[in-house]
Amino acid sequence: MDDPDDDFRLVLQAQHGDYRSYDALVTRHRGRIFAMIRNMIYQEADAWDLSQEVFIKAWNALPRFEAKARFSTWLYRIAHNVVYDWTRKRKLESVGELNDEIFARERIDSDSATTPSGGESPDETMAHGELRAKIEAALAKVSPEHREVVLLKDVQGLSYKEIADVMACSIGTVMSRLFYARQKLQVLLKDEYESR
Amino acid sequence: MNTNPDETKMALWLDDELHGEEHAAFEAAAGITPEMLVAREDVRHWRALMAAAVPAAVDPPYPDFFNSRVERAIRMPAATEPAVVPEKQWWFFRWNVLVPVAACAGMVFTFWLGTLTNHRSNVVVETAPPRAVAVEPFVYTPESGVEAERFASSPASATVIVLSGVDAIPDDADFSKSTSFIGKRDLDVTAAVESESNDLMEL
Repeated sequence: MDDPDDDFRLVLQAQHGDYRSYDALVTRHRGRIFAMIRNMIYQEADAWDLSQEVFIKAWNALPRFEAKARFSTWLYRIAHNVVYDWTRKRKLESVGELNDEIFARERIDSDSATTPSGGESPDETMAHGELRAKIEAALAKVSPEHREVVLLKDVQGLSYKEIADVMACSIGTVMSRLFYARQKLQVLLKDEYESR
Repeated sequence: MNTNPDETKMALWLDDELHGEEHAAFEAAAGITPEMLVAREDVRHWRALMAAAVPAAVDPPYPDFFNSRVERAIRMPAATEPAVVPEKQWWFFRWNVLVPVAACAGMVFTFWLGTLTNHRSNVVVETAPPRAVAVEPFVYTPESGVEAERFASSPASATVIVLSGVDAIPDDADFSKSTSFIGKRDLDVTAAVESESNDLMEL
């Protein structure tokens, strides 16, 4: 993860109108924000647009950022709001119409061209790709709140306190959601989980 | 899940979120059991599995374009400058009070102006209905030296036009060759001039 001190330095410079510093912040965090959003909504093109929205909103709110939390946690908070607004809008728009994407979400091929590529060897990529496909399929079956808490904790590595800030809920709620989400995912991934 | 203080500490301990004195104090107070150690190992194992399979960061497609598009959106005035509500001045409130009065005065003035205009138009504009003008029909002949005379008969409801100076039409004139092409389907099937119709088709 990027050094938070460097983030704060760049944020300070950006708050004084230095766009190059903000551009550096975008470059440092775009990967995590895009991965988080994409894992939440399973649509690459929309994830791209929503990630853009996150950084535009962050710029507009930058004067109000007081550095009480890490810059990345603050970005996750904005991403959380952007994704939930988008989901709410989509639900409103799709009232009364048949939305193929909602039905297809359960059957998304996680091994498709949109699967993220890391710097792995071909063997590792194949093994991880297979496991990733199963994990992503399992994540798609849990509620958005459970999915988000698992992604923030087990993939992004945030603490309970940071997740509570991002999701605007208590630490107790985070613990409860994480406990049930992990339990459900472990049942869904029983074979994988026990063989490793 | 119960989230009383002990349970909260336990969850934090299981997820390796207790550090330093807090960590030592919890382990001393709780008395670590083999089951707890197994449970913590399970959580660690799960986290490692997830972290290995699902990447935490994936650069968006066309990352340079991503940055430049963010910049472009930010540099647009509406996006960069937060909407500022102008501070209201003392005269703004007085003007607010005057708005309905001014609107009423405007309506009355417009109404008065309308009545004036209507009155004037009643006095001045008295247009007579259009008169019907009898026009003698004129027969136009495109050829010079040809005169046309028109005779109309009301009782018979007929009009006759007599042309003077037109050359006599020769008996061998073939009208079919001076007219436009006629397709086979347009020919009168009762006409017994098959050879001629064939000629026409060749035209």
